Amino acid sequence: MADSNTVTPGYFNALTVGLWRENPTFRLLIGMCPPLAVTTAVKPALTMGLCVIFVLVCSNIVISLMRNLLKPHLRIIMFCLSIAAFVTVADLYLRDFSPKMSETLGAYIPLIIVNCIIIFRAEACASKYNVLISILDGIGSGTGFTLALCILAGIREIMAAGTFAGIRVMPDSFVPWAAMQMPVGAFVTLGLLLGLSAIITAKKD
Amino acid sequence: MLNKFKFFMQQSWLLLLASFLFGLMIAVADSAWKPKVEANKTAKIKNLMKGLINAASFDIAVKDANIQSSKGLVKTDIYKALDDKGNVLGFEYIASGSGFGDKIELIVAVDANCEKYLGYQVLSSNETPGFGDKIKTDGFRKQFINAPAVEFALTKVGKPENIDNEIVAISGATVTSTAMINIFNKSLVSVKDALSQKGLIK
Repeated sequence: MADSNTVTPGYFNALTVGLWRENPTFRLLIGMCPPLAVTTAVKPALTMGLCVIFVLVCSNIVISLMRNLLKPHLRIIMFCLSIAAFVTVADLYLRDFSPKMSETLGAYIPLIIVNCIIIFRAEACASKYNVLISILDGIGSGTGFTLALCILAGIREIMAAGTFAGIRVMPDSFVPWAAMQMPVGAFVTLGLLLGLSAIITAKKD
Repeated sequence: MLNKFKFFMQQSWLLLLASFLFGLMIAVADSAWKPKVEANKTAKIKNLMKGLINAASFDIAVKDANIQSSKGLVKTDIYKALDDKGNVLGFEYIASGSGFGDKIELIVAVDANCEKYLGYQVLSSNETPGFGDKIKTDGFRKQFINAPAVEFALTKVGKPENIDNEIVAISGATVTSTAMINIFNKSLVSVKDALSQKGLIK
């Protein structure tokens, strides 16, 4: 149910809040499974990010449209239902039009259903504000998440294979760091990036 | 009773309506993209078949042959691989059975007389990474290339380099290894029957 005391954010603010100030990965630390699991290369990370943007925008539209009809005890189940429906469509699309990418991402696409970012945006924004604000919020948060995935994947791919999105960027003499392709590489890179984001935030404040 | 029903509908009509609409949306998307799934599967099968026998073309040798699997008879086509002069190089068919994780589907190739295997490719499987999924690796697959087309037996000790009817199991994946042997053994009899009924082998 829409809260009558809630102040509607501006359109620009809705679009940009997820890019840095409420970036799901670097600032809120929610939905941390994909940043650790699908960032071995840029292409799967970008695909995952695009799927999350699609699901976020679509579920935000639906939830925003029915926000005045939502009963408190049905709120979460309605969120999950709409998220699951759009994730299924994204999963079917990938399976049919990009089977290799679908195989690479495996269970992580269906697992978007339980990604905290989407439920969080549904609860924090779509269930309170109008459709346009919700769409912009979905695009902003999704883009922030996608950028975080791509930065993480870019670093790991360059260090582990000497390539960026499949294009060679390191000299032939470069010795790949095999550890960067393994889970330890994800944890170390994410830790360093979180540290960097904390330093930037502290300096800004 | 009527009041209870009315209360139930008042509380849950949105959930029921949304479930119906979302279900409809998924059904429409799935059926609209179904031809693409079939095309992907056909392209994958053709690619895998070409990897087993480097033939100029593939024709259907037996349409809807009944191939024995662990879950009974499955209807599938048996293909013949032809060279550019039209000579039969071998036959290929899809054989399936229950694995450790899920159903295993293989494309199996036999020679023109159905006397020896030319190899197999995994069409679909969901076996344990690092263990059962070694059925996709050359180390296990090489045991089947040029192996006699007779009933296989599984052994836990032996040399995989020896090409005979004894297949060395994958260490730590006995269930998957047994499933593979069963797929080969069960399908072979029905394939031989179907080919000899058509007069394609003696």
